[in-house]
Amino acid sequence: MKPAAFSYFAPRDLDEALHLLAHHAPDAKPLAGGQSLVPMMNFRLAQPRVLIDLNRVAALSFVNDANGVLVLGAMLRQAAAERDHRLSAAVPLLADALPLVGHETIRHRGTIGGTLAHADPAAEIPAVALALGAELVVRSTRGERVISADQFFLGPLMTALEPDEMLIAVRIPRMPPRTGTAFLELSRRHGDFAIVGVAAQVTLDESGRIVQAALALCGVGPTPVRARQAEAALAGAEPTDEQFRAAGALAAQEIDPASDIHASADYRRRIAAVLVRRALSPSSTACSGEELVPWLIDITSP
Amino acid sequence: MTAQAPARKWIGQSIPRVEDPRLLVGRGGYVTDLALPGMVHAAVLRSPLAHARIISIDTSRAKALPGVLAVVTGKDVTALTNPMPDFGPDPSKHTWWVLAVDKVRYVGEPVAAVVATDRYIAEDACELIDVQYEPLPPVVDPIAAMQPGAPLVHDALGSNVVYHRVFTFGDVERDFAEADIVVRDQLRWHRSGAQPLETVGAVAQYNPATGMMTIYCNSVTFTFLLFLVANTLKIPSNKLDMVPCPAGGSFGSKFWAVRVPILAGMLAKLTGRPVKFVEDRLDNIMTSDHHGSDRIYEVEMAAMRDGTLRSLRINVIDDYGAYIQFGVGTHGNSLAQVVGPYKIQSVQYELTAVLTNKCQQGAYRGFGSEVTNWVVERMVDLVARELRMDPAEIRRKNFIQPHEFPYTIPTGNMYDSGNYAGVLDKALALADYDGLRAMQRKAREEGRYVGIGLITAQERSVFSATEFWFWFDQPTGITSSPESATVRVDPAGNITVTLYSQAFWGQSPETVVAQVVAEEFGVDPSQVSVIYGSSARGLPATGPGGSRFTIMVTGAVRGAAQRVKDKMRKIASHQLEAAPEDLEFVDGMIRVRGAPEKAVSLQDVATLAYLFKLDLPPDIEESGLQADYTFDHPYTTKPSPDRKSLGVFYPFVGHACHIAAIEVDVETGQHRFLKYVAVHDAGTVVNPRSLDGQIIGGVAQGLGTAMYEQYVYGPDGQLLTGSYADYLIPTAMEVPWVEIDHQETPSPFTPYGIKGAGEGGRMMTPAVVCAALEDALAPFGVRINEVPVTPEKLLRWIDEAQARRQARTGD
Amino acid sequence: MADRHHITVTVNGTPYEATVESRLLLADFLRDHLGYVGVHVGCEHGVCGACTVLLDGQTVRSCLLFAVQADGCQIMTVEGLAQDGNLHPLQEAFREKQAIQCGFCTPGMLLRAYELLQQNPHPTRDEIREAIAGNLCRCTGYQFIVEAIQAAAERWL
Repeated sequence: MKPAAFSYFAPRDLDEALHLLAHHAPDAKPLAGGQSLVPMMNFRLAQPRVLIDLNRVAALSFVNDANGVLVLGAMLRQAAAERDHRLSAAVPLLADALPLVGHETIRHRGTIGGTLAHADPAAEIPAVALALGAELVVRSTRGERVISADQFFLGPLMTALEPDEMLIAVRIPRMPPRTGTAFLELSRRHGDFAIVGVAAQVTLDESGRIVQAALALCGVGPTPVRARQAEAALAGAEPTDEQFRAAGALAAQEIDPASDIHASADYRRRIAAVLVRRALSPSSTACSGEELVPWLIDITSP
Repeated sequence: MTAQAPARKWIGQSIPRVEDPRLLVGRGGYVTDLALPGMVHAAVLRSPLAHARIISIDTSRAKALPGVLAVVTGKDVTALTNPMPDFGPDPSKHTWWVLAVDKVRYVGEPVAAVVATDRYIAEDACELIDVQYEPLPPVVDPIAAMQPGAPLVHDALGSNVVYHRVFTFGDVERDFAEADIVVRDQLRWHRSGAQPLETVGAVAQYNPATGMMTIYCNSVTFTFLLFLVANTLKIPSNKLDMVPCPAGGSFGSKFWAVRVPILAGMLAKLTGRPVKFVEDRLDNIMTSDHHGSDRIYEVEMAAMRDGTLRSLRINVIDDYGAYIQFGVGTHGNSLAQVVGPYKIQSVQYELTAVLTNKCQQGAYRGFGSEVTNWVVERMVDLVARELRMDPAEIRRKNFIQPHEFPYTIPTGNMYDSGNYAGVLDKALALADYDGLRAMQRKAREEGRYVGIGLITAQERSVFSATEFWFWFDQPTGITSSPESATVRVDPAGNITVTLYSQAFWGQSPETVVAQVVAEEFGVDPSQVSVIYGSSARGLPATGPGGSRFTIMVTGAVRGAAQRVKDKMRKIASHQLEAAPEDLEFVDGMIRVRGAPEKAVSLQDVATLAYLFKLDLPPDIEESGLQADYTFDHPYTTKPSPDRKSLGVFYPFVGHACHIAAIEVDVETGQHRFLKYVAVHDAGTVVNPRSLDGQIIGGVAQGLGTAMYEQYVYGPDGQLLTGSYADYLIPTAMEVPWVEIDHQETPSPFTPYGIKGAGEGGRMMTPAVVCAALEDALAPFGVRINEVPVTPEKLLRWIDEAQARRQARTGD
Repeated sequence: MADRHHITVTVNGTPYEATVESRLLLADFLRDHLGYVGVHVGCEHGVCGACTVLLDGQTVRSCLLFAVQADGCQIMTVEGLAQDGNLHPLQEAFREKQAIQCGFCTPGMLLRAYELLQQNPHPTRDEIREAIAGNLCRCTGYQFIVEAIQAAAERWL
């Protein structure tokens, strides 16, 4: 399973990368972590004639913290993001989701921008971006624009990026005070793409009522889905199990999942309701980043 | 109680493996590591359609690509080769060529092959081959395939039912008539497969001046049948030399996997260059020729009120895919132990083998008997549920008793020895079964769904060739399945053993050989050298498969060792002036028993044997010190002509009890293991640690079949699980910690009393996992009769069971 | 006309120069061009982990990297684990615990274990299982591998 031939460029700066992309569009693909693109190339499902390797563009890998907004360079490695304490403290929902993205070896190469631009409907990071109202900074030789997450994902592996545009950074608001987060996922095996994943962030007021809830789901349709009706129902509500159950039921109605060999649409809807409820409950919020596949219990170990 | 084993120094020791040093440093010597001067590379173009006529193939663009040496299609193949060797019924009616000729019959079937200077270019060229297909309606569902008017996979066969027969053993009618209860179920075992990490590969080299074809391959088994491979390649049988290369896993899928070496050989002869062809992962998933069993069962089990099991009626439809290279041998495996460890007196077995537009079946660890284990244990659990008997107690009640061995089961096969209650007791103790039940009660009070499964089943070992043909009324068939070895003591006194098949699939054949030689000659295993002879230089050798290798290679090595030792004794007896029978081999010396100072070293004797002919005793006719031995199956008998007895064909039967505790999350259908216990009786164990590794690995694969793995074909015949993103192999996070114990009830018929055990783990796990899951969901009344079980299926079955309950109670 | 690039790569401390086609996978470059056949190819789509190597100190799947991308990088393969003919404690532990059967997953498994023990010198059995979850083994069922990694952890430091 060898890839088809392509021309390869490894620019060192962003302008060079953008010019190459503009020049060779639409036959060119930027190469970020390669953990999604290269398998497709090895299967020859993707046969870009030109590959623009972004891994030498140092300027694209950064974490900036300004005015309550975290700005992540598109080429920030998932593993680096996982280890970044500032980032974990400022955007814990991202920290919750990252350990569930593939396996560590994959996260050594995979990037935040790459997984967003690849837009697999079952991927975790797009759901996090959607839940947090992230803004995606996109650039071409024609200039720069900012696309909100809810406008960015258009379909399976389809985004609002034009062929000559590249994602260069993502802006995520810092988590406000009195807020808890959770990312729960059900997958067949550890490390697999989610059958259903839920990103949840809940902010309480001083009296303990829910001020705002953000809920986004992956694996439930052609793009990640923001469960706005469920969110609306939670705004101003007491954080009770009954409310969470109701939110789960609402969220299940807001999605239109497809069936595939791993899960039917009905099953995904059912799981969505369960995961939303579990993500919202206080105990889940406390021990976030939980995968719903239970850990092995080794009761023979000393 | 385990029989008292004779004192042994090396057999039974968990010595570190002889195979490991090279594997640890990346020098495993796998076939794809080979590079020959001038070597070129092959790739195949696979069919995108499940069923279609090949109208035309235009290879001109492919041939014109720089770096391409040859492009071959099915039409060329009919000139370059003869049909593939095929042990199925009526091969002329479902002729199998190395590339598809008139039709493609499954998605992934190779349609063309390209040879190029590298694999990248070969794959480029594949994309430039233009195939005109006339699509035909695919036949995917085996039941649909059986109906009159269904599209035919092979027109010449006239039907997709390639085999149908009813076998009756014992008085089934009477046993069912006299039974107090009869339980019935329909069961479905979907196809999964071996998927070793290393695929099948070959490097072939042809010398036109000598006519010699040399093929390095990781699938060299049945060396005495390789004349069939030569025939396919259209070369004389004495001009084919196949060189075994260690395999990165097989689990059956490298058993007689001849398509790859034949393709490489054909292309080497055509191009005049050494050709490497290694399956890529898509080749191995789609067209391995080794998918596992794919069965639909209707089963009835007859029992008495006190729990005595009387009889079994099995109706099984097996979807073999587009070809049937091993006939219905996988059902021979089933019939070897179809009554499990129980005194069931009669069996009816109706078998229908159906062809469909899928990859053909081959071998997968258990070769069909793991399926019957699952079926029988599921039925025993159904009887237990009906009679409200504990799963351990109903099994114990029906065990064949130790004094009843050797025991002939209704099909005619024999179980050589056993102590099933002993194994059960060990398993119950290791699992703290009573403690588990107490834990379960408490968990249920807390509203948790915890289940405990317990199964007892057989693991037959060392197949006889008869199991492949007693399905038919042909008067004769192959009855040989030997293994050979050569043992040589060189003039410096060092010992080399030569093996003649591709012995290494990941088990420990070289370690076993070293331990046996150490035991026989009184040397240290680390001093033994194990090498491989290619088939042209070789003796008849079957290779691994059917858990046969440890026993067969031990028999061969021991036999050869005895011959060498006899000669050494004769020489030494002259030197020491003692009778040959008074001599013993200890610590590298041959010495007089009771007078150890009277000794000569192995080296002394060897030097004499090779170099000093005139000083040898007159009854020694030849210089040198080596011997061959061909060890035939120690206990095979022929089937009766009317097939009311299939004869003895798989008599060395081990046994195991597995116990598992599993918790189910009924909101999602997910599960987690709370405990997993495996107790195995594989007779005398050569290297216990190595056996444990095999058991645990087998459990992991059994778990895969039970809960994760399936080759899924869509209604149009497309393979929907075409990559490891969809074909789900368990990772370290899915496989439980396995607690193991052993019992050793030796076989009376095998060297050292060994029984084969390589397949055993996988043969137990699906049954125990289903039992535990079903027990967890017992409050709902769920019945599990299908694998793989998925979380979604569990939820669906809970819903259906609840709906059934509501319908019955009317609320 | 193939798109070719000149690269310099250091493997197990040995520098190499080569001119490679851009699409040449790192796994194939290491195996076929440089002779490091301890790098195994199992799936070519990044799932099985048999091709795992260390690239600038981190495990990566060499079937998902192009050789050109490794220009200027330091690579460690299994052949680099043993030093001066002495097996690494991990290799010794794998042998002692019989953590190998067919050996095909072993190089990738060893390198991932090597990385784990550098990050987490005293991993629990559960942590080990999670760490190696990206490396498939079809033979062992993982248990003896976990035991070996634990044993090596006790010895290494």
